[in-house]
Order: sequence, then structure tokens, then C-alpha cells
Amino acid sequence: MNLSSMFDRTGLSRNIAVRLENVTQRFRVIQERPDTLRELFAKFLRHESSYHDFDAIRNLSLAVPSGQMLGLIGRNGSGKSTLLKLVAGVYRPTAGRVSVEGSLAPLIELGAGFHHELTGRENILLNGLLMGYSKDVMKAREQSIIDFADIGEFIDAPIKQYSSGMHTRLAFAVATEVDPDILLVDEILAVGDSAFQQKCFTRIEQFRRAGKTILFVSHNMIQVTDHCDRAVLIDKGSLIADGVPAEVVSLYKSLSMPELTSAE
Amino acid sequence: MKELVQSTYRYRELIWALALKELKLRYKRSVLGFLWALLNPALMMVVLTVVFSTIMRFGIPHYAIFLLSVLLPWTFFSQSLGYAVDSIVGNGELIKKVSVPKLVFPVAAVVSNSVNLLLSLIPMALLVLAMHHPFYATWLYLPIPMLALVLFTLGMTCFFAAANVFYRDVAHILQVVLSAWFYFTPIIYALDFVPPHMQWLFKLNPLIYVINGFRLAIYYGQLPRWQSIAASFVCGLTALIIGCAIFRKYENEFVFYV
Repeated sequence: MNLSSMFDRTGLSRNIAVRLENVTQRFRVIQERPDTLRELFAKFLRHESSYHDFDAIRNLSLAVPSGQMLGLIGRNGSGKSTLLKLVAGVYRPTAGRVSVEGSLAPLIELGAGFHHELTGRENILLNGLLMGYSKDVMKAREQSIIDFADIGEFIDAPIKQYSSGMHTRLAFAVATEVDPDILLVDEILAVGDSAFQQKCFTRIEQFRRAGKTILFVSHNMIQVTDHCDRAVLIDKGSLIADGVPAEVVSLYKSLSMPELTSAE
Repeated sequence: MKELVQSTYRYRELIWALALKELKLRYKRSVLGFLWALLNPALMMVVLTVVFSTIMRFGIPHYAIFLLSVLLPWTFFSQSLGYAVDSIVGNGELIKKVSVPKLVFPVAAVVSNSVNLLLSLIPMALLVLAMHHPFYATWLYLPIPMLALVLFTLGMTCFFAAANVFYRDVAHILQVVLSAWFYFTPIIYALDFVPPHMQWLFKLNPLIYVINGFRLAIYYGQLPRWQSIAASFVCGLTALIIGCAIFRKYENEFVFYV
């Protein structure tokens, strides 16, 4: 296991699926946002600047070889989700370059494209189109999505009538039933009942065995150590450790323990 | 501009699905459903016809047709803008989570309103028959001003949708602009009613040429002069190029402001 992950990390054997080169993502944190022109003029007249810049990702470089399952760990607000959104193309980096080789399935915020007035079936199509798949592809996969999500006859009801579990199951099914090359997983396995969590994890494992690249954000250290080939620790937007999951996890634990205890 | 065409083509299925969603949601949970797309303009026509043929009488024969022939394209224009101005902000949650070309949202708003415009031509035709107004062959010319109008509307929606992301006042300003624009466009009157020395001012209105094409074809049974057709396309393309350029310049910033 360790040997194979060492081998993966060199990146020589395989293509690089996801590459970040000196990436910085800057956010403008606006304390009191001039939402209206009047406020803008008022601010302008008083020569006030009511924002400061904040780097969610700071000069970060990372290469993920194809077929690797990479665990991203770090405290809340360390930049993990921003990193995934950069890879997903939601943000354009302020500086640096992000390149992605292959098709993406972002499981970042499940069901982001769902509209609650539309039926499950209509949402499957709309969500698939939003992710860039064609109508034919979505129609062909529709039945297997419905089967995996285990929605039953509710599939033709507007999804505002769904329980939150059904909502998540459908979203997970839509995102993973489309055979992506790269899977971005952000903390989503914390939802749903344990049977469904298990089902999701089985599917992620299947992806891993099929040689897909997976970027996996989790606060569940057991999942990271057990399933990932490699782990990186992110803090304040920078990469501070990169290596074998067990080692990175124990480093993270030793770093964050004082915080945890003081928080409690 | 090239990118607009390319991404519109590439995402045609998504645009169509979004437009369809908008239409579906508009009539959802109403008993008559999609029929409202026909009934709405039809009922408006009945009201206007009754008002202008009995209560307020102008010296214009079949005034309802005179009015509606340009009120329909105007309604398309103002409703498209009204919907599209909020299309980026309204889809903010989506834009923050999914990588999707932002242009599809205003385009979808225009597409869904185009469907409404096309549907409203059916009650328009029925009204022409009911009032025994001649049904001119120039109806066949309508796709030309429609195309010019869609180009112009697309350009305007791109601009307003982008501007509204940064300043939410834009949506409110737009309402005022639209109502002023309505009265300064020869919709309820003809350009001939304007004093001759003022007419040049009205001719600066980029909508006047395309709107006039509708009235000539439906009400007068004439074709516009080629200069007027050319002017409508020049206005349409200019609006589209400028609107699109502004939209593209700022689209990567949207995610931080929605």
C-alpha cells in the first residue's frame, strides 16, 4: 500500500489528471458592501475602502496523477473547498494555472442545480445538462440513476416533496452515474443514513478500482487513512504536508489537538 | 461574438432546458397551465380592443391591430429584459457551485420569451380575422424583424444582467427606463403624430426601426424600406456586440458578487 502510493506520488508512471501551478485564489472580503449606488457614492466621497483581500489559496502547487485517490485534510476554512472549486472551474484563479485532464464530476454541494418545483426526472436532465452532459447521455442513464437513488414512484413528483435523504441520494446518483474521469468529493458522505453512506462509499471504491482520479475532502480521518493513496494537509491556503495518509493524518492530529481541547 | 455563437450552440440543450423550465414554472400549479401563454395575450387583446373601439376612439381604423402589432414585440423586449436582469443574480447559488457558462442564463430568458412572442402571434392572427382586417402576405416577412429584435434584446439583456450583478440598483433603474422608453417609442401612436422638427430625436431610438417592421407587415401590409431594415440590424448587432463584450469582460467576477 505504502509502496504503491510512493510510486504514485512520483507521477512518472501516469499522466497528471489535475495540476495546480502556483495557484492563488484571492477573495475580496467586503465589510460593508456597497450594494447600491448611493452607498457607493457615499463611500467614494469619503475615500473609504471597506474591504480587505484575503487569500483562500496561497501560491499552492499540486499534481494529482490519474488514478490516485487523494485525501485533502485541514481545519475548517483552511481552503480545501476553495481548492476543489478551483479544480471544478467555479473560480478562475487570481494567479497561477489550474489544468484538468478528463471529465469532472463535482460532488461539492450536492443538488446545487436542483429546482424544487421540478420533478426528480426533470431535475436529472437539467442537472446533467448543467454538468455538461448531453440530453442523450442523461436519458440513457436515467433509469440507473433512479435505481441507485432508490426514489421509486416519487421520481415524477416535484422534489420539494422529497425528504432530505431522497434529495441527497438523487443528487449523488446524478453526479456519479455519468462515468466521470475525475471525482471531486467534498464532505458529502456525512449526510444520509448509514446504509446510504455505505452505498456511496462502495461506489467511490468502485471508481477507485476503475482507475479514476478522486479528490476527497473529509474530516473523517479513518476514511482518509483507509481509502486514500495519498493525503495532503492544507492550512491557511498552503500545503503544509504531503505524503502517506497515516503520517499526514497523525501530523494533522498533533497540530490540531491543542485547538480541539481548548475549544472544548 | 464568435464565442457567443459557439457557446450558444454547444449548450443549446441546456439553454432550451432552462427556457423550458422557466416557462413551466411560470404556469405551474395553474389549472390552465401552458394555455395561459395563449390566453394572456388573447385576453389583453380583448380588453384593448374593447377600450379603443368604444371608449377611447382615435382616428385610426382598427386601432387595436395598429397597437398590438407593435405591443407584442415591445412586450417581448420588456419582459425579456425584466426576466434576464435577474438571471445571473437569481442563479447565484448555482454559479457559486457549478462551473457553467454564465451566458446561458440571459440567453435562456430571451429564448423562453421568444416562445411566448411566437405563441402570441396566434391570437394576433385570430384578432385580425375577427376584426375583418386584411390578412396580408407580408406576415411572411415577420421572421426578419423578429431576428433583428432578438439580437437587440440579447445584447441589452447581457448588459443589464451583468450590470445588475455589481449594482442591484440596475434592476430598479431598468423599470424606469423601460416605462420611459415605452412612451418615447411610437407604440400607442405613430411617428407621424410627432411634430416634424422633433422626429429626428425619435429616430435615434434604436427600437423604432425594428418595431416599425412589425407594424408595417401586420397592419399596413407593406415592407419596410431597405434602409430601415438595415438600420434595425445595425442596431441589433451593435447592441449584441457591446452587450456581449461587457458580459464576457466581467463574467469571471460574477461568482464573487452574486
